Amino acid sequence: MANYYDVDDIITEEENISVIFQKAVNGVGIDPGSEKNCVEQGSKVELPFWLASELCLRNTVVAQVPACFDEKTRLEVQADPACVDLRSRSPYFYEFGCKVAPVTGDRTIGFLLFSAFKSRYKEVLTKAHTAANVANPKFLSRLTKEEVHLYEAAQSSMAAFKKWRKGGPRLQPASVLRMKRKSTN
Amino acid sequence: MAAQSCSQFHVFSAEEIEFIAEDELIEIVPNMRMDQLNLIRGDFGPFLPQIATEVPLWLAVALKKRGKCRIRPPEWMSVEKLTQVLEAERDSEKEFQVLPFHYVEISRLLFDHAQDDIPDIYMVRSLMEDIRDVRFHKVETSLETFDGRTSAVQIRSLSAMEVNIVRPFVARALQAFQKLGNMVPETDSVPSTRPQGTDKAARGRRILRGR
Repeated sequence: MANYYDVDDIITEEENISVIFQKAVNGVGIDPGSEKNCVEQGSKVELPFWLASELCLRNTVVAQVPACFDEKTRLEVQADPACVDLRSRSPYFYEFGCKVAPVTGDRTIGFLLFSAFKSRYKEVLTKAHTAANVANPKFLSRLTKEEVHLYEAAQSSMAAFKKWRKGGPRLQPASVLRMKRKSTN
Repeated sequence: MAAQSCSQFHVFSAEEIEFIAEDELIEIVPNMRMDQLNLIRGDFGPFLPQIATEVPLWLAVALKKRGKCRIRPPEWMSVEKLTQVLEAERDSEKEFQVLPFHYVEISRLLFDHAQDDIPDIYMVRSLMEDIRDVRFHKVETSLETFDGRTSAVQIRSLSAMEVNIVRPFVARALQAFQKLGNMVPETDSVPSTRPQGTDKAARGRRILRGR
């Protein structure tokens, strides 16, 4: 269960997913295509995930697999996972996938996510430690949020170690001491 | 990926590790006379000129700064020992040589404060660097072998600093692997002879160990 206040989690659920209404719904304006204030049975609407999953639970809609997990992405991931630009698919590719899979009932998504992460992880690992403090925007722009976090975790700890090894002032004066002494009267 | 904040995994900074390492004991040869010191962790001294005694590293450094003692570099910091270690590190693919848990920090403190007490300091310093690089490279290659079934890592005789460097990364990666691994339906890679409970635990604990 993700943290309720987790901003990344909230943004993940904002992602749109297309659903097909199984029932006619009255009094809602969620279908931009219809003129009336209702949704007809069988109409296809894009809804944010948080709404779609709730409606799914009530059997009102049937969710479809979002475009970022389509056949094309799968083929690309199979061919060379490290070079696929997953961020443009969805910045929260893995988190979104984990949420989408149970709703759509597509069991192959799990495997797609897992195999993609497994091979991209190696790329992140080698890049993070070897290309020390050389910012590689092209590489970073392909990563999803989670992978960027991983990359930064590795880089920052390595940078902290290098800074420590190089030395410098070991003792820092406390901020209290740095303040100028004021006259007491 | 429930926890997105990075600082959570960063338990120690390098400076904190160094602080902990200063509690290691080291031999000094005082050149002054001083009574026994009664510290919380134990009694040190009495200090007599030219009589070697063991003190915590921080005390040794403090005395050294005031010119009150000579620090005897530990045995493993000799050129012969380090050359041996380096060769052994290069020879074995997976295994790590046994060095003190705080060897990175101790060597840096000594290089900084007691240069004149270490024989062949340039040689020792460069050997130290080489050993560290070789070891870190090994850590990296062993991290590459992660797959989704890894949920615990065991690498023997890794030092404090080395662990600390990879900790944030490994913790995050393992968390992600665990989350995504749960998404994949059970495959036939696990022999299903064990009862359900232990099966899951055993699958999660594919241990990576230096042999």
